[in-house]
Amino acid sequence: MAVYERTYHRYDGPMTTPRRRFLVVPRYALAGVMRSRAFVMFYLLCFLPPFAGLIAIYLRHNLSALKLLNVPLDRLREALPIDARFFAGGLSLQGFLAFVLAVVVAPALISPDLRNNGLALYLSRPFSRAEYVAGKLSVLALLISTITWIPGILLFLLQGYLEGAGWFVAQGRVLAALFAGSWVLIVSLSLLALAVSAWVKWKPVARIVLLILFFVMNGFGRVMEMALGTWWSELLSMRVVVETVWAGLFGLALPTGMPAAAAWAALVAGSLLCLGLLLRRVRAYEVVR
Amino acid sequence: MSPGALISGVSGVSGVPGVPGVAGVAGGAAAAGAASAAGAAYADERIVFDDVSKFYGEVLGVNRVRLSLPAGITGLVGPNGSGKTTLMNLMVGLLRPSRGTVRVLGMATDRPELLFRRVGYATQYDAFPPGLTGYQLIESLLRVHGYDPAQAAAMTWQALERVGMVEAAGRKVAAYSKGMRQRVKLAQAIAHRPSVLVLDEPLNGLDPMARAELIALLRELAAAGLYVVVSSHILHEVDLISDQVVMLNGGYVVAEGDIVEVRDEMDEQHPAQVLIRCDRPELLAARAFEQDHVVEARMLADRSGLLLRTRDAGRFYRMLNQVVIDQGLTVESVAPADADVEAVYQYLIDEPSGNGGRS
Repeated sequence: MAVYERTYHRYDGPMTTPRRRFLVVPRYALAGVMRSRAFVMFYLLCFLPPFAGLIAIYLRHNLSALKLLNVPLDRLREALPIDARFFAGGLSLQGFLAFVLAVVVAPALISPDLRNNGLALYLSRPFSRAEYVAGKLSVLALLISTITWIPGILLFLLQGYLEGAGWFVAQGRVLAALFAGSWVLIVSLSLLALAVSAWVKWKPVARIVLLILFFVMNGFGRVMEMALGTWWSELLSMRVVVETVWAGLFGLALPTGMPAAAAWAALVAGSLLCLGLLLRRVRAYEVVR
Repeated sequence: MSPGALISGVSGVSGVPGVPGVAGVAGGAAAAGAASAAGAAYADERIVFDDVSKFYGEVLGVNRVRLSLPAGITGLVGPNGSGKTTLMNLMVGLLRPSRGTVRVLGMATDRPELLFRRVGYATQYDAFPPGLTGYQLIESLLRVHGYDPAQAAAMTWQALERVGMVEAAGRKVAAYSKGMRQRVKLAQAIAHRPSVLVLDEPLNGLDPMARAELIALLRELAAAGLYVVVSSHILHEVDLISDQVVMLNGGYVVAEGDIVEVRDEMDEQHPAQVLIRCDRPELLAARAFEQDHVVEARMLADRSGLLLRTRDAGRFYRMLNQVVIDQGLTVESVAPADADVEAVYQYLIDEPSGNGGRS
């Protein structure tokens, strides 16, 4: 009978809180994304619209600058009101850029781990599939946040500061809508992009699938809507669904006949479907039949 | 049958204390309680599979596995698709059994927060997140475990030092050779100082020197009290390093235990082969044929000895002693010729008429 000395002691010191551990996943993923010069260029371009918004707000409150440019204040206020439509329009533009960003980044997040059978590396730790997905999703969430609600809220705060407390109180809903609307986009878009990344191992194909899901479904929904005269087919269009939700949040007129509740239901159902597809694929092993 | 070894046809039922349904029966209620407590404590010191089956839909992974693995090195042996990786994935909780229970040192495998504090796993795949250096890989996985940055850094260097990878720590894993990848895989498995180490094909692709170093490291870890479970196709190396062997075929455990004891159990169907080098092989052959347990005795080509097959190696060795004493036979060497994993594997798995396999 063998006698074992038990000289090998396991670590029993303090540990970090489990809720923060998923943040290890985006650390190197973000570094990998930023290694691409083309992506960095695109990412910087995404800040141009908020920068344009910043200039517009600045000009509105700088009479000497307007005089210098020979633009009457009244005409500027009429042409470019800083209200819910201004911020909703900005969010819509940034939403499109966020989609392009997701098309570029997401396919490189999960598929390489699946292709290399690398999930076991993560999942043979005190680390769940949900935490793994949260870690990957946080890469997109961080990048999209920096081009949607973070600049949007900064612009809102600047406008509120320059316009005064009355405007700030009157437009309070816009602040909440900017934040909530951005997160609606972040969650739904990220889950869709990650689900595609999990099921399509080849990155270029995953990108094409995402483009098809966005543009082709959008066009198909539009054609069906025109042919059938019903808004039901517009539920296939992610753009229409998200913009309907945003319109509801900002308190603006709905873009189509689709009720906001139907858009919310479609987004929740679609996101749950993507989450289910993701968790079905994100496993530590693969059964080869 | 000796208590430490088992050859099974289909069910793979072993007389293992501490395993429900298989434990020894005690006399009264008090004795039963004491026995139960002792059995539980015993099971807490082992990796226990209790009637475990795993099916992937209609595909069989493993079926009705009953095992109780002690500390030391356990070799998992079997052909492709025999269920080795499934058994390992069940052990580390990456798979849930379709039936039965798996407990690792008393812990259920569906509690990763507890289990993975004490279990280290290296898969057979070269699976690494792209773009990371060896150091970054191990450090980030330790952070996933929950170690703070300073502790994770210290433990990373310790693990890299243990596998001899300190100098290559700053290089990208993608640029590592196969041997270096195997070592960095081992490093990530031992970095958090687990009590149980599960290694799927760790010797694959290593050159002889790297293999020898890895085997030495595994021995060192086992000697320090670790439970090391290793699967491999390289049978003679499993034979060298393992304290016990589990042989799988078609999802069933066909043999388990100390390999010599397993071999002894097979004497009836596969008589043991013994190679004897001596000065008068013809005399020994004549005496051997007087024994009913000797099946065959073949003179070596250079007439320097005999290759003999017997159904009872113990009786043969006693007879050999007697011949040496009575006849003054000079024996240069006596060695079992097929008491190793390779031979047992061949008898149980390769030969269709073997005792193992599905029936």
